[in-house]
Amino acid sequence: MKPASFKYACPTSVQEAVGLLQHFGDDAKVLAGGQSLVPMMNGRLAQPDVLIDINQIAELRVLEVNGGLRIGAGVRQRTALESPDVQRVVPVIAEALRHVGHVGIRARGTVGGSIAHADPAAELPTIMLALDATMTVTGAGGQRTVPAEEFFRGVFTTAVEYDELLTGVHVAVPGPASRSAFVEVSRRRGDFALVGAAVSLELIDGAARRVRIALSGVADRPVLAHRAQEFLEGRDPHDPVVREEAGRLAAADLDPASDIHAPGSYRKKVSAVLVKRALSNAVNGE
Amino acid sequence: MTVTEPLTVRPPQYVGARVLRVEDNKYLMGRGRYLDDLALPGMLQAAFVRSPHAHARIASIDISAAKALKGVVEVLTGAELAKMGTPLVADLQREEVLPVGKELLATDKVRHVGEAVAIVIAESRYLAEDGAQLVSVEYEPLPALVDPEQALSHGAVLLHDDVPGNNVAHIEFDSGGVEEAFAKADRVFTKRFHAGRQHAAPLETRGVMADYNPGTGHLTIWSSTQLPHFLRTLIAPHLQMSERHLTVIAPDVGGGFGLKCHVFVEEAIIPLVAKRLRRPVKWVEDRVENLAASGHAKEIVMDIDIAVTNDGRFLAFRGRYIGDCGAYSGYPWTALIDPLAAANLLPSLYDVREMSFQVDAVLTNKCQTTAYRGPGMAPGHLARETLIDDIAHELGMDPVELRIKNCIGPEPYVTVNNMRFDGGSYVESIRKAQELVDYDRFREAQAAARAEGRYLGIGFSPFVEAGTWGSEGAKALGFPAEFYDTASVTVEPDGTVTVTTGTFNHGQGHHTSLAQLAADRLGVRIENVRVVDGDTSKAVWGAGTYASRSAVVAGGSILYAATEVRNKLLALAGSLLEASPDDIELYDGQASIKGVPEKSLPIAQLAGVGYFGGALRPEGQEPTLSATRYYDPPQTYSNGVVVAIVEVDAETGRVDLQRVVAVEDCGTMLNPLIVEGQVHGAVAQGIGAALYESLEYDESGQLLSGTLMDFLYPSSTEVPTIEVSHIVTPSPVTEGGMKGMAEGGTIAAPAAVINAIADALTPFGAVIRHAPVRPADVLALIEAGRA
Repeated sequence: MKPASFKYACPTSVQEAVGLLQHFGDDAKVLAGGQSLVPMMNGRLAQPDVLIDINQIAELRVLEVNGGLRIGAGVRQRTALESPDVQRVVPVIAEALRHVGHVGIRARGTVGGSIAHADPAAELPTIMLALDATMTVTGAGGQRTVPAEEFFRGVFTTAVEYDELLTGVHVAVPGPASRSAFVEVSRRRGDFALVGAAVSLELIDGAARRVRIALSGVADRPVLAHRAQEFLEGRDPHDPVVREEAGRLAAADLDPASDIHAPGSYRKKVSAVLVKRALSNAVNGE
Repeated sequence: MTVTEPLTVRPPQYVGARVLRVEDNKYLMGRGRYLDDLALPGMLQAAFVRSPHAHARIASIDISAAKALKGVVEVLTGAELAKMGTPLVADLQREEVLPVGKELLATDKVRHVGEAVAIVIAESRYLAEDGAQLVSVEYEPLPALVDPEQALSHGAVLLHDDVPGNNVAHIEFDSGGVEEAFAKADRVFTKRFHAGRQHAAPLETRGVMADYNPGTGHLTIWSSTQLPHFLRTLIAPHLQMSERHLTVIAPDVGGGFGLKCHVFVEEAIIPLVAKRLRRPVKWVEDRVENLAASGHAKEIVMDIDIAVTNDGRFLAFRGRYIGDCGAYSGYPWTALIDPLAAANLLPSLYDVREMSFQVDAVLTNKCQTTAYRGPGMAPGHLARETLIDDIAHELGMDPVELRIKNCIGPEPYVTVNNMRFDGGSYVESIRKAQELVDYDRFREAQAAARAEGRYLGIGFSPFVEAGTWGSEGAKALGFPAEFYDTASVTVEPDGTVTVTTGTFNHGQGHHTSLAQLAADRLGVRIENVRVVDGDTSKAVWGAGTYASRSAVVAGGSILYAATEVRNKLLALAGSLLEASPDDIELYDGQASIKGVPEKSLPIAQLAGVGYFGGALRPEGQEPTLSATRYYDPPQTYSNGVVVAIVEVDAETGRVDLQRVVAVEDCGTMLNPLIVEGQVHGAVAQGIGAALYESLEYDESGQLLSGTLMDFLYPSSTEVPTIEVSHIVTPSPVTEGGMKGMAEGGTIAAPAAVINAIADALTPFGAVIRHAPVRPADVLALIEAGRA
């Protein structure tokens, strides 16, 4: 469990990092918190020629509320979890972060690292999808933004090109009518989810509007439950019958894969339960 | 076995007290030295090339690219190793058992994923792994056997040409009247239970370092082992060396749990390579190797039948045990370590006079099986105790009362298969646990919760634990050989005490608990006692630490040796104080005349006289104060109960383990703190068996849970506070009254948790037939019950 030899670069600016990525292209890997990459390198499942360590780039560690919540890609998960800004403005992100690994993992792991790694069962991609977050991607030609729905492309695959760097994520500040929740089932505390569900909606005169429901662990990427979202639009999520039906619709089109921890059929059934519960937590926890 | 009378008039100063562990400072200060911390000048590091196939012929191995790599010193294949040393052959002194050999490195074929085919020795582990990547092995895959029943079936491919039917042993026992008892029973209950494939998963993996001195011809082996002396004795012939030229040192060891009470091929290979290269060589196992290629445990397919009268009296037990033992027979205990131990402990604490069993130890294309805390006993217990709960439900009886109705009395008892229980609190401990959990109130709360659609459950799991592993105990469990231990006790010239023992402390607190025994017997303060172990050149020979044996075997041998030295001290004190030795008391570092405390001498002064006092010594007493004794104890059986309370989420199948209560009776307790620590750890590992741990292979023999992302064991977030309570029923047969303990929690907790889940799911008629129970399994049980 020792990595193959690699070259190591430690840029101190995004510009420098992007320059290195352009130069080395596919032969390079970006090292953020290393919580997924380093085990893969130690097992020699990943053997990059060059490791570009972005931990010394100060501009990636910005966490600010300024026309929205902006979390730099290099912000540690633990920093985000404990941030008063996150807890005040978008507390559901903290709710999701509590399920990410353990203290030691969150102390090293970064928000951007988890999003860029794009594990289909991970919490951060799922909550960002539910919150309609926008990813900022920087390349040689400058910055571009990618909505979460277009960002996740498959297992460990995102819209970030080989010569680009994910530099941050932007979440709009939710209004007073906003409600949200995150729930998941895992084998043990801190494991990747068997299934996770994130819900975000606005509650206007007792009716749900702008509903977004994201599920993890059920496909090759986090997915939105479109039929459930449409069904809920204008309906009262306080009504258990409505929540039940939303859960049923969310699970109806899923065809999750099986593994040693749970068959796909389990994940499908529990998706319905978790959507129901997330909705309940979102509107009853007020 | 006669038991010596307690020698001190006063209550013991240390035995039974909550003495804080004297060895912990080292660990807490980060000054422990584990195998990976060791380094020698010029040391090389090794990495193995391991098979990606479950079963394949080795067509060719090309090591040229690896050998050419800068920094690689040597690359050796099985053919070369076969010239250097001999295979490990596991065998038992029983006619039913076939010997099974394991080459040091595979030569003609590989039999499981992870089996080593070559070793690369380089200037660093990094370079060794680079070299390993360059070794090119051509395999011709063979059909893989992953189902033991299929492996047993006629015409199955053979793993080893000399093991027909892939069966290491077929062993039967029959008390004579079993079939008659089943024929006349009112009811017969039957269950097949499949226990999961587990792994000890010690925090520190295995590891070996070796250094050969060509000037002296002496070879030193450092190994993360539980049995340094036994390792030396067992490995010497394979190295073609004599024991006088071998030193084995176990440094600090970060957990063994039975895995490290074996001898592995790596423990022969690394010394052989060090000797050949004339340079120190170290190999530290990584986690992937540890999971795939060290030792698995406890996977048994069991069919249990119980003959019962309508009023719930057990008439007879019948068991069939098919061990899924993996590709080799673990050395030295053999593949029987799980299935035979499971079978022989079938009666447990039930008064059953008719019993039969059949055991098969079947080879499959998986990692070999080895001992792991509660070997065999734990899965066997799961099968029996879950069936007993099923029977209670079927008969409409309370599961606790059904057990008590069939339980043996507190006096010593000989089981139908001739295990000699040394008495215990079998019923009393169950009643105590019932009180502690407030059983009646729980049942009320359970009914109220059910009315709200919440599912609470409680599971009782009373156990008898075959610990100690002296010759008689090993034979009773089916493993006939001689097992004992030795200890030396020396009062040094300054009156401090050095104890050496052939057992080996690797986390159990022996440096405290064994010192407590010696301190009391010699009347010295515990801070003046040092326990030395883990080094064949410093401690007396012994079989090592495993099978909950050390308190009894090391304790007994220390008591014997300390008594001899004590008698010398008494004679010296009698002579110096002008009193009869019978009237001398040794306590707290002082020798005094009983009832005349002002007539006393420090024991340190007696020691000085013992070494340098010349004519002051009683006539005929030799100088020095030292004794070495051995002890081979009779059988001991600790007992107790584990109770679990769960709430099951009927929509997600999640099990919330809310409460665990354990009652433990291990006879005389040397140190309740240490006993409780053992209960905590054992129960935690039992929770792993119930809910998490499973090494999964696919149909082609690929290991699917090859990392700790997929082989799950409980961490602090999954283990609730474990409430421990004690009953003390001293053993009437052992020196000191101790009974071996440390595995009861692992034996009993799985059934406690699974019975609690089944109890919670009573409205769905759930019968649980395998472990671990995942959320998906719980949901499937609920859906089956609703259908």
